[in-house]
Amino acid sequence: MNILPIISLSWKNIWRNKTRSGVVIVAVILGTWAGVFMSAFMYGLSMQYIRSELVNFTSNIQIHTKAYNIEPMPEYFIPEADSIIQVLEQKAYVMEVTSRTKVSGLASSSSSTFGVTIRGIDPDREKKVTQLYTFMKEGDYFEESRRNQIIVGEKLANRLNQKMRSKVVLNFQDVDGNISAAAFRVSGIFKSPNSMFDESNVFVRSSDLSRLIGHPGAVHEIALLVDNFKNAPTYAKELSFGDALEVQSWSDLSPALAYTDSMVGTMLYIVMTIILIALTFGIINTMLMTVLERQQELGMLMAVGVNKIRTFSMILSETFFLAIFGAPFGVFLAWVGITLLEDKGINVSAFAQGFEMYGMGTVIYPELQPDYYFNIGILILVVTLIASIYPSYKALKLNPVEAIRKI
Amino acid sequence: MSIIQVRNISKIYNKEHIPVRALNGIDLDINKGEFTAIVGPSGSGKTTLLNIIGGLDTPTEGSVNIHGTDMFSLKDRKLIDFRLHHIGFVFQAYNLIPVLTALENVMFILQMQGRPHKECVARGMELLKQVGLEDKVDKRPSELSGGQQQRVAVARALASKPDFVLADEPTANLDSKSTSDLLDMMLQLNELGETTFIFSTHDQRVVDRAKRVLTLVDGEIETDEVR
Ligand SMILES: Nc1ncnc2c1ncn2[C@@H]1O[C@H](COP(=O)(O)OP(=O)(O)OP(=O)(O)O)[C@@H](O)[C@H]1O
Ligand SMILES: [Mg+2]
Repeated sequence: MNILPIISLSWKNIWRNKTRSGVVIVAVILGTWAGVFMSAFMYGLSMQYIRSELVNFTSNIQIHTKAYNIEPMPEYFIPEADSIIQVLEQKAYVMEVTSRTKVSGLASSSSSTFGVTIRGIDPDREKKVTQLYTFMKEGDYFEESRRNQIIVGEKLANRLNQKMRSKVVLNFQDVDGNISAAAFRVSGIFKSPNSMFDESNVFVRSSDLSRLIGHPGAVHEIALLVDNFKNAPTYAKELSFGDALEVQSWSDLSPALAYTDSMVGTMLYIVMTIILIALTFGIINTMLMTVLERQQELGMLMAVGVNKIRTFSMILSETFFLAIFGAPFGVFLAWVGITLLEDKGINVSAFAQGFEMYGMGTVIYPELQPDYYFNIGILILVVTLIASIYPSYKALKLNPVEAIRKI
Repeated sequence: MSIIQVRNISKIYNKEHIPVRALNGIDLDINKGEFTAIVGPSGSGKTTLLNIIGGLDTPTEGSVNIHGTDMFSLKDRKLIDFRLHHIGFVFQAYNLIPVLTALENVMFILQMQGRPHKECVARGMELLKQVGLEDKVDKRPSELSGGQQQRVAVARALASKPDFVLADEPTANLDSKSTSDLLDMMLQLNELGETTFIFSTHDQRVVDRAKRVLTLVDGEIETDEVR
């Protein structure tokens, strides 16, 4: 193939002006490095947010009765919840399962009253699904076996003006629609990363709550963790327990999280595309300069019989080489950085005090899906090729006679 | 039998605005093995004539026939290919690709013709030997003197075994010693290899070595002297 000498010539031409090509190459290295690393940072941040939301609150998949989803009344508990749990535990991808008795009610102290969601949990199982036990500020996580213990959020405790061992009266409907009240004693105070959650949720034992609503063992909610939260929507579709029950994955339960998940994927490519376009302008500019400087030489080549396709290919491959040369180094550097910091994380507490509010912590762990590297590679190739066209076209437009006249 | 037949060539530049008549009804025949100098005052049309004979520029009127091919009936692509296979060019400067060695520069034309690598190397070496640069094959143009660069250019022009070589003021940038050396070499190639040379020059010493001298004045051939 006699396009090979043209390509080899392009490669040599790049090193003609070492400083200029060097600047372009360094720019590409820095650009791709920054782009990929920033993407990993953004992606890591978002995944951390999603994961912490899931592990703290939402879990991966929840099951309720359809009626309960429309109106969360105590009588809409899941019939034969135990057998459903047994089925779930058989599934290879189900890691942990817990069940909850969950009703709305009022929490009152001697001074005030607030609307809350009362979560009756099975402390041991709950521990494996959500992280409430790690948020304990005072007291303990249902360690004593006394009846009617309650764990409240710090914020609610303050509002109700209560401390450890204080009495809280909970009002709620029972399964027959009668209002009942029960006194609980504060055995623990928690502070989760989500203060809104702390304000409106209290935890009691499922056994206490189901007895009080008049149906011991009633379960309104089954929550589970699966092997990979990304697969939860697929698993949720697969799981079916009759028409009365609804299986929802975290993306159904929290559209905001689902949106974050899909948005961040798109954002990464937008950021990278913008960076590449910016780099492209620099590269096109450099190559136009090169073509202009070399017009006599290009004119000479056309005069002696180098045809348009070859002239075009020569500048195209030169631009392409120049643009693409630094990219693998940039991506590699980013990969090294990401791999090094994947486990250690980047401490951003100095700049971002607000993060903790969102439950993300102040250490960001950059991460990227492997397919992102592949897609970025394709993106760089495509953008670079497009960028190569203009200078090559300009070279074609040179008139050999005029170029030679300038000799 | 002439290899180049130039018939009634006229060239008017800038036809729409301020027309410049650079060539006016040129008729010319060049035979195989000639060593022809085109002379004339600046602006007389030497470059224009050489460019038209070389198929780089198109005449306003007239035709150029090379070995029976009407050059300006060829499509753009064919014309470039025609140049690649039939015409050798030597310019005043910028003849060589700076990033290639002398040998690679000579080989380049052959590679463009799609010749096998071995043949390119062999022919390149042979030609550089003929122009007396066998010890400079691996040198880049920047490591060669002006005269040596022009020798490489001549070798490159000869690489494809063209029908003839066109050289527009090939010695304009050379000192007298290099000029004389280049001329010696060109004459030798002309005599031993029967290479046809057509060159323009301002240099009387170069003119003196030519076997045929065409004098252009105001775009017309004033004298045509065969020595
Ligand atoms: N591109 C062009 N546009 C307009 N006029 C041109 C162009 N090229 C050449 N000319 C004019 O055509 C005439 C012939 O020019 P040409 O370059 O062929 O002369 P020349 O004999 O080679 O001159 P020199 O000895 O200075 O190289 C001149 O009057 C020149 O000004
Ligand atoms: Mg001239």
